[in-house]
Amino acid sequence: MGDEDLGLGRFSDPALFVLVSLAGGEKHGYAMMEDIEETCGARPGPGTLYGAIARLERRGLVEPVASEERRRPYRLTAAGASALRRRLRELQGLAHVGLGRLATA
Amino acid sequence: MSRLVGRLVRLYPRAWRGRYEEEFLAMLEQGRWSIRDLFDVALGVVDAWLRPQVVYEGRLVMVSRIRGSVLAVLWAWAGMVVAGVGFRKLTEYDDFVRAARDNMLVGVAFDAVIVGAVVALAAVTVGGAPVSFAALRKAFAEGRKDVPLLLCMPPLIGAGFVGYVLVLVKVIYPAVGSVSVHGTVNVALFLSLVGAFVLAALASAWAVTAAVRRVEVEARALRFALYPAAIAAAAMAVVLVGTTVWGLGLLAQAPALFSGDGGILATPTYATWLVIVVVMAVSTVVAVVASIRGLRAGNVGHASSRL
Repeated sequence: MGDEDLGLGRFSDPALFVLVSLAGGEKHGYAMMEDIEETCGARPGPGTLYGAIARLERRGLVEPVASEERRRPYRLTAAGASALRRRLRELQGLAHVGLGRLATA
Repeated sequence: MSRLVGRLVRLYPRAWRGRYEEEFLAMLEQGRWSIRDLFDVALGVVDAWLRPQVVYEGRLVMVSRIRGSVLAVLWAWAGMVVAGVGFRKLTEYDDFVRAARDNMLVGVAFDAVIVGAVVALAAVTVGGAPVSFAALRKAFAEGRKDVPLLLCMPPLIGAGFVGYVLVLVKVIYPAVGSVSVHGTVNVALFLSLVGAFVLAALASAWAVTAAVRRVEVEARALRFALYPAAIAAAAMAVVLVGTTVWGLGLLAQAPALFSGDGGILATPTYATWLVIVVVMAVSTVVAVVASIRGLRAGNVGHASSRL
């Protein structure tokens, strides 16, 4: 799930945070913001969050859950879970190489 | 500040607001927002105008209808291919070749079937290539391996079928020795060949359908495919008319041949012909209806995209 692959541009990191947040279960926008702030240490702004959600929904990686409330929860799709897994493995590999190089520097 | 942030939402494009405004405002009502958030929403507005991500529901329906029409024509063509091979098998005997040569109507009808079949094959190839290419490009962009694998299936299935024919001719028939034409062994082997062919046609159509449905194929490629699909449907109608006229011509010119047992597996000629005509008719109706439906959806979508 490279940036070029998804064409997420500056929304690449927020999109990844949204996917990670939804990996813990379905959430609406505000709950996602709080969860992302708690787990990633940075809270995305409302415009950035919904820019990322729109991109992920367009690509079929997340989907809205039917809700009676005005707040609409989202969840990961199977494609979203698979893309997230792939991306996290890439990052894990990168982290492993980077830490290894730092250790020998 | 929160009220100001809420007002900025009105600047989003209409499509975006139609899809997200309500839940976005509900989210804004939950928290307190800073000047930084105000700028963030302003950037979001600019982004939504420059790179719209929201797809109009009507457009989605239109693309889905065009895709369904194109795929329906593909399935109808697969049915026509199966029936067409049956017609070719029916007419391979010397008596029918002679009838086509001696009777102009029967001969012209037979030629029309061949021409229609070639045009339909060409149209399906011309329309299918850009759609397959667009599906492949999308699949590679998304890092998907299932779609290329599915699109590889038709040629692999075709190769497998040819392999089975070769095994039949080079291995099985020499091994069983001489067999009577309508004996149990020959009939069983022939039916296995027919079954393998029908399965190959169905599996190939399924593989292409699954591949095209699993990724978001560009509307442009699908819309282009509508025209070759319409040509394929028209060519299938020619094949149907040719096959029908061939049978009626045979009935008029050589009634003994028509009522004889020259059909596949020594069945009555008229029965085999009738089954072939029925399968062709169903395939043609499906293709024509799907083409008209697709062209209408394509025209509506094309007009709305200009607004």
